[in-house]
Order: sequence, then C-alpha cells, then structure tokens
Amino acid sequence: MSMFNRNDNKETSVSAPDKPRDVTPASVAQAPKPVQPAPAPAPDLSAARSAGPSVISKALKITGQLESTEDIRIDGEVEGDIHGVSVTVGNGAKVKGSVYGQTVELAGTIEGKIEAKKVILTSTAHMSGDVIHQDIRIESGAYIDGHCRPGTNKTDYKPAAKPN
Amino acid sequence: MGTVMSAAPSRRLLRPPRAEGSAAAPLSHLSKAITVNGDLESDGELQIYGNVRGQICADRLVVGPGGYLEGDVIARDVHIEGRMEGRIFALNVTLDTGAEVNGRIFHNTITVAKGARIDARMPWRPPSYFETLETLPEARQ
Repeated sequence: MSMFNRNDNKETSVSAPDKPRDVTPASVAQAPKPVQPAPAPAPDLSAARSAGPSVISKALKITGQLESTEDIRIDGEVEGDIHGVSVTVGNGAKVKGSVYGQTVELAGTIEGKIEAKKVILTSTAHMSGDVIHQDIRIESGAYIDGHCRPGTNKTDYKPAAKPN
Repeated sequence: MGTVMSAAPSRRLLRPPRAEGSAAAPLSHLSKAITVNGDLESDGELQIYGNVRGQICADRLVVGPGGYLEGDVIARDVHIEGRMEGRIFALNVTLDTGAEVNGRIFHNTITVAKGARIDARMPWRPPSYFETLETLPEARQ
C-alpha cells in the first residue's frame, strides 16, 4: 500500500508542472459550451402537455373523489365528489355527488349538490339536489329539483333582501 | 375496489378493441393539478399527469412526466413516462425515459427505454390471458 501511495505522490508531483498547460485547453474547450442549451425546449413541451384543464371524456367513468387546483371538464360519468376551480359538466355527462368550485357550469346531470360562487344552469341541465351559490344563472329549459339558496359567505346580503 | 370487481365476476376487464374506422378514441386528460382517489374506467385513452390512486381499466393509458399512479392497471397499451406503483396488465407496455415503476408488469410485448427505472417483475403472458382476464390475481407482497 505504501508503495502505491508513494507512486501516487510522485505522479502528482511530476504532473503538477503540466497542470497549467492542461487547464488552458480546458478553458478553451469550455468556450463553445454556451451554444448548447438548444435541447431545453423538450421539458417545456411536456409542461405544456401536463398543464391545462383536466378533461373527463364521455368514455371515462370515475368512481371516487376528484380534487383539482385548476379547471375540470366532465363529459363522462363521475360517482363521487368533485372539487375544482371552474367545473364544467357537459351535455350528456352524469355526476352523482357534490360539486364544489368557484364556478360551476352545468349542461348535463347532477344528482347531489352544487356549492359554488357562480352557478350556471344551461337549458339542458338536470339538477337533482340543492344549489348553494352567490350568483346564479338559470336558462329556460333547465330542470331543478332542490333548494337554491345563497351561500354562507353572503349572509349579510340575505337579511337585507328580506322585508321583515 | 376489490369488492366492486367481485360483484360482477363475469365481466371481462379488458375492453374489446375499438372498431377500425370508428371515431378516434375519446381522450381523457388529467392535468398535473388534479388528484383522483378512486377507480377509473374508460373505453378510450386516458392521460395522467397528476396524481391518481385507484384501479384503472382503459384502452390506452399514458402516465406522463410528472404523473403518479398508485394502483393496478388493465389496458391494451400502457405508456409510462412518470412514476407508477402497482401492477400493470397490458398487451403492449412502453416504459419511456423518466419512468419509475415499482410492482409487477404482466405483458405480451414490452419496450424499455434507456433511463427508465424499474423495480418490478415482468412476467410474459399470451394475449388470451389478457382477453379473458375477469378478476385480478391477488397481490402478493
């Protein structure tokens, strides 16, 4: 072992004077490096693919809970609760459960509850259950079987509207 | 999950192939902002970039980069670029660069790209095994 160590020491000491010469070509070789970042767009593409709204197509059936910090569009079937920012239930879609969000737009069927700041029931909507909202729009033709009541956040608005 | 499957034992898990010339397989997309807890069934393609925990039956499943799936998958084609923990039952499996798979991969054909991290057994099965699959075998672990 000691022999190897000695050899190692000799080599380093011998090669030491060469080092400055090695360094200069290395720095020259480094110069063209900044040209390389061309392959960077690849992760950007994947980021673009992974972003955007989530879409549950009409071929998909989900049994369980969905939670998103972005938009959700449902054209298929969901049995369970949905939490999103903007939730759109398309024509022909079916949801059995509660739907929570900032904005909920319904053109399909919900059996359960809607709790959102802004609720839009289009002409093809079929809503069985309560709607808790701060702002609601119901188009002619929409079916509702349930209570529509303003959300708890706007309690100050509700008593003012009452004549008593 | 398991109780649902055993309630309808006569149903085949793998979906019949889509007829040629019919409309393109409906695409479902779960973005990176979404978390799903539950079972998913699709006749079309399902892309996962978010978090999913549950059993998946689909024609084609893609777990994109950044996606994470915990659960069993039954599909014709499975393409993984993200992380997955569970069992895959698929005719064609592709594990792309960036894939991280932990579990079992029952396959008929498999492609593994350089850079994929796999900690899994990969049993080969004939196509008839997947076509006639009605209940998933018990997980041993």
